[in-house]
Amino acid sequence: MSLPLLELRGIGKSYGGGWLRHRTRAVHDVSFTLETGRPEVFAIIGESGSGKSTLARMILNATAPGEGQILFRGRDLATIRRAADRRAFMQAVQPVFQNPFEAFNPLKRVDRYLYATAHHFTGAQGRVAQEAKADEALHKVGLSLAEIRGRFPHELSGGQLQRVAIARALIPGPALLVADEPVSMIDASLRMTVVNLFRRLRDELGVSIIYITHDLATAYYISDRIIIMQRGEVVEAGDARRVLMAPQHPYSILLRASVLSADPPEADAAEADAAEAGVPAQPWSPAGASLAARSGDVP
Amino acid sequence: MTEETMMLAPPRPTPALPAPVLSVEKLRAYYQMRFFGVTREVRAVDGITLQIGRNEIYGIAGESSSGKSSLIKTIARAIRPPLNVVDGSVRFDFGEGPADIYKLDPHALAAIRWRHLSYIMQGSMNVLNPVRRIRHSFLDFAFRHMHLPMPVFLQRVEGHLARLNLEPRVLNAYPHELSGGMRQRVTIALATVCRPAFIIADEPTTALDVVVQKSVLTMIRGIQQEMGSSVLFVTHDMAVHANLTDRLGIMYAGRLVEEAPTRSLLRRPLHPYTRHLVASLPRIGDDAPKAGLNGTPPSLAKPPPGCRFHPRCPLAMDICRTEAPPMEELLPGHRVACHAVRQELAS
Amino acid sequence: MLRILRDLLRYNRGFGLGCFLLLLVAGMAALSAVSPYPPLDVYVVPPDMPPSAEFILGTTSRGQDVFWQLTLAIRNTLLFGITVAVLSRIISLTVGLLAGYLGGAVDRVLMSVNDTFIIIPLFPILVLFYFVMRDNMSWTMLAVVTASLGWSYDARLIRSMAMSLRTREFTHQAVFSGMRAPEVVLREHLPYVLPIVFSTTMNNMNWSIGLEVTLSVLGFTDINTPTIGGMIYWANQHAAMVSGIWWWVAFPVALVVCLFVGLFLLAVSMNEYIDPRSRLARTGGAG
Repeated sequence: MSLPLLELRGIGKSYGGGWLRHRTRAVHDVSFTLETGRPEVFAIIGESGSGKSTLARMILNATAPGEGQILFRGRDLATIRRAADRRAFMQAVQPVFQNPFEAFNPLKRVDRYLYATAHHFTGAQGRVAQEAKADEALHKVGLSLAEIRGRFPHELSGGQLQRVAIARALIPGPALLVADEPVSMIDASLRMTVVNLFRRLRDELGVSIIYITHDLATAYYISDRIIIMQRGEVVEAGDARRVLMAPQHPYSILLRASVLSADPPEADAAEADAAEAGVPAQPWSPAGASLAARSGDVP
Repeated sequence: MTEETMMLAPPRPTPALPAPVLSVEKLRAYYQMRFFGVTREVRAVDGITLQIGRNEIYGIAGESSSGKSSLIKTIARAIRPPLNVVDGSVRFDFGEGPADIYKLDPHALAAIRWRHLSYIMQGSMNVLNPVRRIRHSFLDFAFRHMHLPMPVFLQRVEGHLARLNLEPRVLNAYPHELSGGMRQRVTIALATVCRPAFIIADEPTTALDVVVQKSVLTMIRGIQQEMGSSVLFVTHDMAVHANLTDRLGIMYAGRLVEEAPTRSLLRRPLHPYTRHLVASLPRIGDDAPKAGLNGTPPSLAKPPPGCRFHPRCPLAMDICRTEAPPMEELLPGHRVACHAVRQELAS
Repeated sequence: MLRILRDLLRYNRGFGLGCFLLLLVAGMAALSAVSPYPPLDVYVVPPDMPPSAEFILGTTSRGQDVFWQLTLAIRNTLLFGITVAVLSRIISLTVGLLAGYLGGAVDRVLMSVNDTFIIIPLFPILVLFYFVMRDNMSWTMLAVVTASLGWSYDARLIRSMAMSLRTREFTHQAVFSGMRAPEVVLREHLPYVLPIVFSTTMNNMNWSIGLEVTLSVLGFTDINTPTIGGMIYWANQHAAMVSGIWWWVAFPVALVVCLFVGLFLLAVSMNEYIDPRSRLARTGGAG
């Protein structure tokens, strides 16, 4: 039998407090398990203030939980304090940040993060070895070193930058990626490229992904399992499709009902007919298909 | 969940445009910058023509750096150097005949602002003074323009707040005591209390949670219908447009590429960019694979020649690389700027 | 680098003037190398001569040529300012960046030391120091003491910047790239702090030179090393202003004012140029 990849046992975290001060509960009693050898996209859904980002920070061992335990491959994150242990942990768990323009130092070239990661985690000595590692990782996200060598963040699009960030996170060969709102700052035309990439990482590289988002539609599109959080507590958990198609908890139902559909509301039949009268029948093949077929963005 | 319950208001036929409230003609506004001898010109708004009728919600959709924010700033004459109007006109007609907002003297401009024209911004915290009660914001912004005695004015404000489901006691609150959604509703109340004929809304719901977003949108729709105002609504979120706007213009790299009644635009997008945009939207319950668009949005400082979309366009032809397609009405009420679409519809 | 210099000279009048003044001062200091007289020798020329073709800035009552004395004095004063600035920059950068980045106990300890230095009165300490050291008081000693008193304000400033940089996403990215604290601080945060450091370096030099001149004029320093303050001290000892030997006082004062104004102009114009926001806008980051 193998130990679970990640196990959260009754995680809680409060901020503030102290003498006569108000104590805010950010996260309360969250438990879930990701199994080893069964890579999945696990979505944590919640609105702002639901505690989902705090949870992400605790999983990344950047903040210690106030209550409960987080076990990574059976080891309590609280015992990971020595530099060597931390590095071993980072080898296996890597983050993807929300704002790709913020995640790279605007005054520095983006490729140096790739070289630094290759140097520290794969032991690649010398520029040639580091460039080889960087190029290999960039190919996994549909880029190449030639495209980004020597570039500054402002010279790349949000989608490209986010893929560079994912490539960097892949260099150590992690088993788990923690992605906190990774596509919310990316333009619509490029967003799906990044979202599809997560799916490919899961299927082809066997990386599990914790996908933190407020966007139910993309969560439906890529997740296997989801949990829905409200004010720090998990209100509903389960298979992504089941939870999103037939939510049970009142809050999940409200959340689901509040999602605006991108399809135009159905008009009166007569009106719709009038609007389309005299208009030739669809002259196009299904709109996205021709574009999708040519999209070489993610090979 | 049926589509009917998702709607915020019953759809209305697009009003005819006898005399548009706003008409923008061939507007060009560039950022012109000089830094220690390096001159840069960013063509944020590059030749935009559009008209907005009375009692209409007109949406503008576009990605970051498509120039949509620059466009509405230019329309509201809220621009500062380095953003300058290079060419074209912005004419408002509030029943006194069309007047170019860039030809008004400061007094006439001040009279028009807030009386006829108001602005709802994304960061609601920025409008409300954090150290003063909400009441003061109303006094500062609206009292002067309404020419009412104080008790009548306060009564009007309270009545207006009630319409937005806000209790009168929010007037005595400080901005930080209100939730994000309430703050945004207060800014909407501020922007609409003078019953302006034209409201410009810049991503007013982007920072809000989805549950709050929906109620705020419902309110904007309700108040617009009640007052018969025109709204220019800007957001990158197509779902918001689908549920709120009557007509929709799509911006790409500083230009308008498509414009049509929202419903027909989403049902039957013509421009290749719009088609990809609409097709790639993930929907709950839709398991079809979605693709991202290849290539990257062009830099407005160095836009590609010809059609600005051609480097990413699956339908690109030779002419697209050299000649920018004009914006033409190819279907009734449906304007598109695309050589390929024109050819296909002609054949 | 040369292009930046050319751009600055062409488009920023303040920078041009500042450079000109500093070049003037530096040129004077450089001439000390070819001084015909040993610095401490007295009565090598006729005393009390007004400015003339032979002695362009006149001579002192102690029989020294004001021009050549001035070259040495400004050299020592300039070196003093630079030494203090460099030493105090090293301390304030180390303390500020580490306290801001590491936070917690390190921050509390460093900041309590820092605040102690902020509140202790500098001038009495320096005077006290002179009385304790007396004959052992040397130029280097004074520089070290001034530097160790002159870093605290800037360290606080740098700490506050480092604290906000620590929460930026690229810091986390660097940490998960395997960089350790010194590397993060040096390679990610330092570029953001440098503009402030540049500008405060100039201010710090002005401050330390001002302090040195004040102490010297009052005779609380090693008067055997010629400095601007030392020259004015000797002029006062000989009642130069009363006896009409104005050139003994006026030229050192004029030169040190040139130095102050030059440094100030440079600080202002460099700050404008190096500021990350204007730099990003120039290279195309904004827009």
